[in-house]
Formats: sequence, C-alpha cells, structure tokens
Amino acid sequence: MTFTSVQPTEVASPRSPSAPPLVTIEGLHVTFERGGRDVRALRGVDLSIAPGEILGVVGESGSGKSVLGLSMLGLLPTEPPPRLEGSIEVCGVDVVHADDDTRRRLRRRHLGAIFQDPMTSLNPTMRIGRQLAEVAGTEAEAVRLLDAVGVPEPKRRLRSFPHELSGGLRQRVMIAMAVAGEPSLVVADEPTTALDVTVQAQILELLGHLRDELGCSFVLVTHDLGVAAQVSDRIAVLYGGRIAEVGAAADVLERPAHPYTVGLLRSRLTLQARRAGPLPTLIGEPPDPRAHPPGCAFAPRCTLHVDACDETLPDLVSAGGHPGVAACIRLDVPLAEEVALVDAWPEVEAVSAIEPAVRLTAVFKDFELKSGWRSKEVLHALRGVDLEVAEGESVALVGESGCGKSTLLRAIAGLLPIDDGAIALGPGARPQMVFQDAGASLTPWLTVGELIGERLRSEGCGRSERDRRVREALQLVGLPAEVAEAKAVQLSGGQRQRVALARATVVPPEVLLCDEPTSALDVSLAATVLNLLGRLRRELGMAMLFVTHDLGAARVVGDRIAVMYLGRIVEVGPAEEVASAPQHPYTQALLGAVPGVGAAARRTRLEGEPASPLRPPSGCAFHPRCSQAVDACHTDGPELVTLRGSSGHRVACGPAHAAGGWG
Amino acid sequence: MTQFVLKRLAAMVAVLLVLAATVFVLQRLTPTDPVHAMLGGNASKAMIAAEKHKLGYDKPMVAQYVDYIGGLLHGDLQMSLRTRRPVATDLGQYLPATLELTLFALVVAVVLGGLMGIATAARFRGSGVLRVVLLSAASAPSFLLAVLGILLFYRKLGWLPATGRSSVANVPTGPTGLLTVDGLLHGRLDVVTDAFKHLVLPGLCVGIGPAMSIGRVLRSSLVNTMRTDYVRTARAKGQRESVVLLRHAVRNSLGPALSMTGLQVGLMFAGVVVIEQVFAWPGIGLYTIQSIPRTDFPAIAGVTLVLGAGYVIVNAVIDVLQAAADPRIAL
Repeated sequence: MTFTSVQPTEVASPRSPSAPPLVTIEGLHVTFERGGRDVRALRGVDLSIAPGEILGVVGESGSGKSVLGLSMLGLLPTEPPPRLEGSIEVCGVDVVHADDDTRRRLRRRHLGAIFQDPMTSLNPTMRIGRQLAEVAGTEAEAVRLLDAVGVPEPKRRLRSFPHELSGGLRQRVMIAMAVAGEPSLVVADEPTTALDVTVQAQILELLGHLRDELGCSFVLVTHDLGVAAQVSDRIAVLYGGRIAEVGAAADVLERPAHPYTVGLLRSRLTLQARRAGPLPTLIGEPPDPRAHPPGCAFAPRCTLHVDACDETLPDLVSAGGHPGVAACIRLDVPLAEEVALVDAWPEVEAVSAIEPAVRLTAVFKDFELKSGWRSKEVLHALRGVDLEVAEGESVALVGESGCGKSTLLRAIAGLLPIDDGAIALGPGARPQMVFQDAGASLTPWLTVGELIGERLRSEGCGRSERDRRVREALQLVGLPAEVAEAKAVQLSGGQRQRVALARATVVPPEVLLCDEPTSALDVSLAATVLNLLGRLRRELGMAMLFVTHDLGAARVVGDRIAVMYLGRIVEVGPAEEVASAPQHPYTQALLGAVPGVGAAARRTRLEGEPASPLRPPSGCAFHPRCSQAVDACHTDGPELVTLRGSSGHRVACGPAHAAGGWG
Repeated sequence: MTQFVLKRLAAMVAVLLVLAATVFVLQRLTPTDPVHAMLGGNASKAMIAAEKHKLGYDKPMVAQYVDYIGGLLHGDLQMSLRTRRPVATDLGQYLPATLELTLFALVVAVVLGGLMGIATAARFRGSGVLRVVLLSAASAPSFLLAVLGILLFYRKLGWLPATGRSSVANVPTGPTGLLTVDGLLHGRLDVVTDAFKHLVLPGLCVGIGPAMSIGRVLRSSLVNTMRTDYVRTARAKGQRESVVLLRHAVRNSLGPALSMTGLQVGLMFAGVVVIEQVFAWPGIGLYTIQSIPRTDFPAIAGVTLVLGAGYVIVNAVIDVLQAAADPRIAL
C-alpha cells in the first residue's frame, strides 16, 4: 500500500487528546414523519470524534445508528424533510444549519462514505474508472487508489462495470472512492454486512490499514459488536435513538456497564456459546421508534428495572467500571453473573442410523446462464453432494455465498429438479422450508391464521379443528392467539419469523429446512429464534437441515456440521469437533474469519474470494486459495474420508489424508 | 449480436406471414367483390370471370395466399386494383413522405418528452408551466390541434404552410425520398427549409401525445432512480445535484422511457393516417384511405406489411438502444 502524500505528523498520534475533535454532536434529535406519525430516530445524542479515530457505532435495527451516520454526511432522506434539533459540527461546518451547497462542499473536501451493499451503491451503468475519477480527479490517481485498496490489476479494472466485479472487489472500489481526495472523516454504514465472512475479515483489516496510512477518522456503523471490536478505538452503543454507553473498545467489550451492552454481548453467537441448552437472550423486542416510553427505552427488557427507570430519561454518567460513560440509573447494582441458564435441552433419543430423514447420493445440479453475445455458461451449483440427515437430527450446512447450500436445500424441498444423483426422503410428512426473509415469504393479503391454516385445509380439517390447530401452532412458537387475525405487515421482524415457523410446523414435517432464518435478524432476536428452533425440533421430533454462513450459529444449532465449498461437501462431523478441531484448511479459515470479541480475534486471514461456480478450479476446488495446497491438489479431487477414531468426522483434503490417521 | 439479428428477422417473417394471412381472411369476409368494383357496374359476368382468372382470384384462398407469399419473396406485392400499378411502385412513391413525417414526429416526441421528463424530475423553474402546456396539448385530439395550428400559424400569422410537403418547384429526386435529406445531399438549402416548414405543424400534431407519454414515464423512472443507493453515493461524493441527475440518473432511467418510445411509434403510424388527411400530406395514409373504399386488397395488404415490418424494426432498434444504455443487458 502506498499513500505517498500523507502527512506523517498527523498520523503519529491518532488519538491525541489535545487535538480538537473533528466531529462534535450535541443534543441531536432527528424526527421523521411517516404516515402522519412521528418517528423519533435520534433523541438527544452527544458524541465527539477525534482526528484519526475509529468510532464503532453499534445498535440493533431502529436504534438510529444509520441515521446518525447519514446526518454527519448531511445525507438524511429529504422526503419528507426530517426535523433536526441540536448541533452537528463536522470539520468546522455546522451541518444542521448549513445550506445544501455548503454541505455538498463539505462532503467533497472532507468526507467519504461507504455503504452496506456495494452492488446497489455503485452506478451500474458507469465504468469503475469514471466513477472513481469523479473524486480522484485523474485516472492515474484512480489506479493508485485501486491498488491501495487491494484491487488486483487496477488498470484493467478501470474499464469494468460494477456487475463484472465480485462483491468483495466492489466494496473495495467503494472504499477507494471513499478515501479518494484524502478525507478527514469516512462514514462506513454496515460496510461488511453484505459480504462473506472471509471477505468481511479482509475488508475490516483494510479499514484499519487505511486509517493508519491516511490518518483519517472512521465511523463504523454496525449491528455486530464483533465487527466493531475488530478495528474500533472507541465504541458507542445506541439504543432507542439514544446513547447507552460509550467507551474505549476494550473497556466496553470487557467491562460493559449498561445492562443492554451486557445483554448484547451475552446473546452474541460466539464459538464458545453454550450448546447444552437455550442461549441467553434479551427478553422482548427493540422499542418502536414511533412510541418510545417516557423513561429509559431499555427498561421493558431490563433485568435491573425499577419503577424510577420508567419516569425519566437516564443521562450519561461515568460508567464506573471503565473511564467511559453510560446512561443508566442502576449502574451501581451489579448484574447477575450470567443470566440464569437453568434449563438444558431435553435428552433426545439416540438417533437411529438405519432410517435417515434425508439421504443425498451424488447430487448434481447445473444452471444454464445466458451470458453475453451468443454463449451460454453453465453454473455448477452442486457437484456431487453426499449427505445424510438422521431422524430427529439437526445438521448445519455452512458455506459462503455461491457454494450451493441454498440450491441443495431447495432441491431437497422438491422446488428444483436435480440433474443427477438421488434424494431419498423418510416416510413422514414432506419437508417444509423457513426462509431468510420471513416478511417476503408471507403472502401480504392473507391473515396469519389463513397462512398457517392453508396446509391443514389440504388435509381435510374442518374449520373449528383448523382454528384449534392454528392456535396450538402459534402457542408453540410463543405468539398469542390474537396474531391469527393480523396480517404480515402488522408484525415485527421477529414475529414474522415465528409465523413462518408456525406455518412450517403446523403439520410437523419429517425434516425442517431452514435457509438462513436468522441472518436478517438483530443479534438479540437471532438468539431467540435459534432457541425456538432448538426447542421445536426436539418437541416435535423433526430432523433439521439448517443453512447458514455463520459457523457460530452452525455450532449451536447443529448436532453435526457440514461445510460446503463450491458445490461439494469438504468436511462433515460432530458440531463441537468441527468447530474446535477443524481438519480442512477451508473450515480452519472460516473459523479464523468469525469476528470475535477480545484478543483471540486475530487469526489467519483467507486471501481472495470463493472461485466462480461457472469455472470451478480443477482438482480440489479450494486449492487456489489454500495455503497447504500441494501439486496433487491441482489435479486430484479428494474424496470424503473418515478420521480414524472419530464418530463420523469426514474430510475431503489430499494433504490432510496424506498426513495419516484416516480411513 | 448475430443471434439477435437472426432472431429478430425470424420474428419479422412470422409477423409478416400472420399479417398477410389476416388481410386474406378479411378479404374473404368482405361482402364487396373487388374485381366487380374495379371493372364497374356494367361489366359482364364473363368479363368479371375472365379478369378474376387473370388475377388468380378464382383459385382457393390458400392457393392465393401461397401465390401472394411467393410473390412477396421476389418483392412483388401484386397490382393495385385502383391505381393499376404495382403496389410496390405505389409504396415507393408514398412511403418516403410518411417516413419523413413519422421520423420528424418521433424526434419531436423524444426531444419534448426528454425535456419534460428531466425538467419536471429536477423541478427546474418553469417546468410546471411546460408540463401544463404539453399536457393540455396532448389531451386535445390531434385533428383539433391540427385545425387550431392551421388557423393560427397559416391563416393568422402566415408563418407556416398548411398543405402538402413542398412548395418549391423541381425538388431533387432521390436517393432517400426524404425531402430534407435529399435537399441537403443536393445542396438545395431552399428545399430543406421549405420541407422543414411543411413538417412542423403535422409533426407537432403527431408527436405531442407520444411526447407526453415518454415524458411521464421518464419522469417517474428518474424520480425512482434519484432514490437509489448509487445516487446517494454520488451525493456523498459531493457532486452537484445537476451532475447527479444528468450524469448518474438519466442513463439509468432510460429503460422504461425507451420501451414507451417503441410502443408510441406504433401509435404514431395510426396518428399519421389522420393527420395526412388534414394536411393533404401525400403519404401512405392518404393512399390507404383511398384504397379502402375501393376494397383494393393488394394495396391494403402492402401497407399493412410495410407498417408491420416497420414496427418490428423499430422495436429491434429500441432493444439495441436499451442494451447500449445498460451494460448489464446482453443481446
């Protein structure tokens, strides 16, 4: 990386306390009007950012974290215009009262922005080079920037359109645009949420490097404390449009003061999370920004809640445990060590190996894509998948985007014909699916009762019988019976996912297929849904195949984990064993990329991105990214071989097999 | 690209075959006997039978259709029953005038529509007035517009001619048949200005309705584009709002406007037929209207096929433009 024009004096002390803050926010209120009601996104935020500092802004959806980032940029949505109170001073400019042109010049000279989805944030009809040159000035500068953010062959890439790049490369281009012209502050709004874990780790590392090289400040807006922990100097936790806690990153993560921060940290899915019983969760759901309670917004979910909490908004006071501040009137009361982890999962009978719920034998699936002038390209989604899910067993299928995991699920559900191989299902009710976006998978004009009852109708249930079973199904997923009368739009994200689950389980299927059902949910809700799944499958005796890109979730949910890469299973075995002693280099890299909290977070980084399923590499498809690859890996596709002495831990890796202990 | 052209050619052949078949069925269903009409009331039965045999009209329907298609392959569109000349020759004479008028109207529609779409989306000053003027013009029937235009610009102000496509003697002939183009090619600027003056009124009358449709679609497409993430990115770069609109938003908003343009061209062909009557424009509109009462089926079939082919070609061009505007579209 080369940033020749950086003044090293500024970089030397990025957190010098004497330097005046780059950003000062005081008493900031932002209110939108939606459908005649006030949506109070921010309700009195005080914050400052020092030059060269990386501030992590952490919060769940609706906490106001993105609004905070956008208001620093002066880019809040304008229709209808939001009401702003308080002040934001960025690089000496009063953003609240400045006219549009002043704000535009501020962005041009001093600010950069990185947004969540690099696919939609780059102009699809303009070449990368031209988009970069708008801020970089010259083509030479554009090439230098692309090189600096780690885009290979930068000169050639100038001629590319965004859709011709992979997700990770697109985000690198976005970052190059953000840091062009040496901004003083870069606002990154969920810059890694749309990316695979291995790419996410690379991008976070890049942000840290850029700060060191350029000396600019970063605001890293994220819902994931683990992501913020990777690079932030300070962390601000937002809840209900107000700051709950601010402090040095290590302090907030290791000695959290605010009960919400504590709850958030505990419900995070780490690789150490408990598997024997339900995960600790925050009760309830985030507050509705249209109707905040008069007191502390977290009070309804707080274990330390007393009556005084409901009366006034808590001010930020010294956190006590660390030099930062927290907004809580009960900071003096110690939090219970670990929220009571009473109930363990009920024992499930040992799974019978004779009669699997799903048996896949050498499943192949290709897709034909129309590509360009006259050619068709073949996308090899599944390239010989063997997998068994025993009765009542839960298998977590892990892999990055494009590895074929969702295709496999849809093939098992019977939604896709396969090209070759066999899918054998057990004798029970046919498989049911739960999707990632529960909102989109519920028909908007039907009531919840009709949606759930639909499957009973085909079974010839009478009306009263149907109503009874719908009520039971709702009760099982923890929803009140009145929800049956509601339509999907009237429900919150967590409630919708529960409805989707109730629909899938009203007639308990032999196997429940889950396609990333928690990845769109907030951290605290995700844990709740995982617990619900864990309980439901045990109570109803269902087998479960759970697709996820998150090894942490896989470890908690699955009895076994299967790791998929480019249409093949490369490792499969007991969940705890795969997560603690992975054998395949790819599984090891995936584990290394899981953003963690604490010192152990930095591990091996996987270079590059998953190869394209249009052109799977020869031999072992992982060999171009593998640090342990030998010549034979280029030519020989390894078979799954069982690790000796293990209970069915199988790995497809040539060098690992050669090391012995297999067969 | 080759595949695209081949596909479109195949589509055109299919469209033409179906159109020709439709005209043939219509001919059978029409009660008037074209040969009888051609020869006049006092022609004897024998004369009519002989003429029918000569023209092949005594053969069964399918055989006639096959004959017609066979001729079509050699560029033979049969003889017009009215003008007694080959239909191909007639079309060669009348088509350029219509083509010139339609193209001019298309330019009017695209320019006015584009201006209106961009101006109203950007809320430029005066865009509201422009919109009201265009909207009221487009909501009036085109013949009313034509009459008003003639009264104002011909009778009252005397700025523009009211009939025909040229008032200059010895206009240059060929190669295109479009007077503005041929005038330029022959260096006859007087012909060009004269032809242009003749084009203005009928062109506006035909083009203003489509301009409104194109403008409204472009506007709503632009408004949506201005809410996208990449427009937010452009704003985050500190680009001026006009740069954001013209450089980032317009190209991304062209798709729907182009589709609408393709649809409007088809409607314009229909509009031209009426307007040619009002302005005595010597095009195929006039030719068709004279052919219909005489049940001149070869002429009607010829015009139908030409318009059908034109429609297919226009839409192929639109598809090419769509792909040019959006690099993600592959032909």
